[in-house]
Amino acid sequence: MAKLIIAKNLTLAYEDKPIINKVNFTINTGDFVFITGKSGSGKTTLLKSFYGELKPIGGSLMVGGFALEAIKRKQLSHLRKHLGVVFQDFKLIPEWNILKNVMLPILIAGQDRKTSEHKAREMLRKVNLLGLEHKYPSQLSGGEQQRAAIARATIHQPILILADEPISGLDEYSAEIVMNLFEKANKAGITIVIASHSIPHNFSQKYRHFHINEGKIHELS
Amino acid sequence: MNSLNRSISNHITLILALISILLSIFLFNVFNQILQRYEKTIIDNYSIVIVSTKPIKLINLPLVKSIHELDIKKQIQKIKKKYKNIDFSKISLPLFYKIKLSKLPTPSELKQLEKDLLKYKFIKRVMTHSSAQTKIYNLLMLINLITKTFMIISGILGFLLIIKQLEVWKLLHSERMYIMELFGAPFWFKGATLFKIAFIDALISNIITAIIIIFIINSDLFTSVISELNINFDINLFYQFGLLFFISTTISLVSSIIVVVWSK
Repeated sequence: MAKLIIAKNLTLAYEDKPIINKVNFTINTGDFVFITGKSGSGKTTLLKSFYGELKPIGGSLMVGGFALEAIKRKQLSHLRKHLGVVFQDFKLIPEWNILKNVMLPILIAGQDRKTSEHKAREMLRKVNLLGLEHKYPSQLSGGEQQRAAIARATIHQPILILADEPISGLDEYSAEIVMNLFEKANKAGITIVIASHSIPHNFSQKYRHFHINEGKIHELS
Repeated sequence: MNSLNRSISNHITLILALISILLSIFLFNVFNQILQRYEKTIIDNYSIVIVSTKPIKLINLPLVKSIHELDIKKQIQKIKKKYKNIDFSKISLPLFYKIKLSKLPTPSELKQLEKDLLKYKFIKRVMTHSSAQTKIYNLLMLINLITKTFMIISGILGFLLIIKQLEVWKLLHSERMYIMELFGAPFWFKGATLFKIAFIDALISNIITAIIIIFIINSDLFTSVISELNINFDINLFYQFGLLFFISTTISLVSSIIVVVWSK
């Protein structure tokens, strides 16, 4: 299986304070990965490094063939077009309706509005939000907003979805729906990396579990 | 309703700033043109007469355009007839010259010119005359100076308003631009909304400025002042509006580009 993410002696820091210290790991195409750890352990930091928000201060990090420690702005932009990012606070554009929010990645990719709209509606149907496409994010519940965020993260068929605490703050029912959507995306061939406080107890799919403790990453079986 | 109010107030800040800058630029241009044309009409009538003991061919001073000897034979004949007991052949009569200037001098320039001319030992006297026209011109210069000061102040205030608007824009648009950047949006895509707002604001401010300008130049006061000055003032409105549109679009687009770059 192709290696999608390769970290070698990776060191990440915030204001020169190391958070992740000389870690080595690989994530393969098609993997479903949970990254767990206590608050402040570096889960979000690690995830941020995967989408180029944070540059390594030591070692190397390859994502989708791009060396992120020395990536140029244009290359990063190109890489991000093949990623899907999901956040705990959804990060939907408040002044856009749900349909336009979901269309965002394919509009960026240069698809025309009509095709984009058609694809976005199809995506919203898959996440059970059809009928709410003209609503604004503030008019939706947390679970619905997260489903819309997942629809946005998958509409352009990315190679990798990075989700930061995607079910924190959601009720059990919404959390289950959201996790099902990640499972479906993974079954469709998309690699999923979820940073989470814990692994949902009813999660049944095969996954890999990375645990961060004191700046080191341990893969648990 | 609240969002509508917020949207209007956001637009108004930039529109007002642009209007103040555009009007400043336009009035600055108009005053310059009026002064230039008025200066042209009176410069030909303006001259300095000097009395010299030696013939002069050339005077090398910056303001001096040309020098011509005055023909005073008739005046001498008159004097000879009047004072028959004086033997004029024994008197060496002075030479009179008329100096044409390259531009209308300010009072201080005129004083300096007088001093410079009197430095030549053969020049015995310099006669300047300030006509009613030059008095009007000086008055216009004074009004021009005061108006330009106000224009510069209003222009600076306009720019300060724009800087304030940049901060507001950054607050309003940085989150959306950040989300777009996460999905790999190029520069133009991230800034598209801002560029659109900037262009619309530039267009609106131009229309309002154009209405104000048309009102000013067609006002009784403006037309009567122009006719009093007796100048040919034919302003090319098409060119002026084009220039103002270019300036306002450039200012607002550059402002929006600054916000997009600043939000990175």
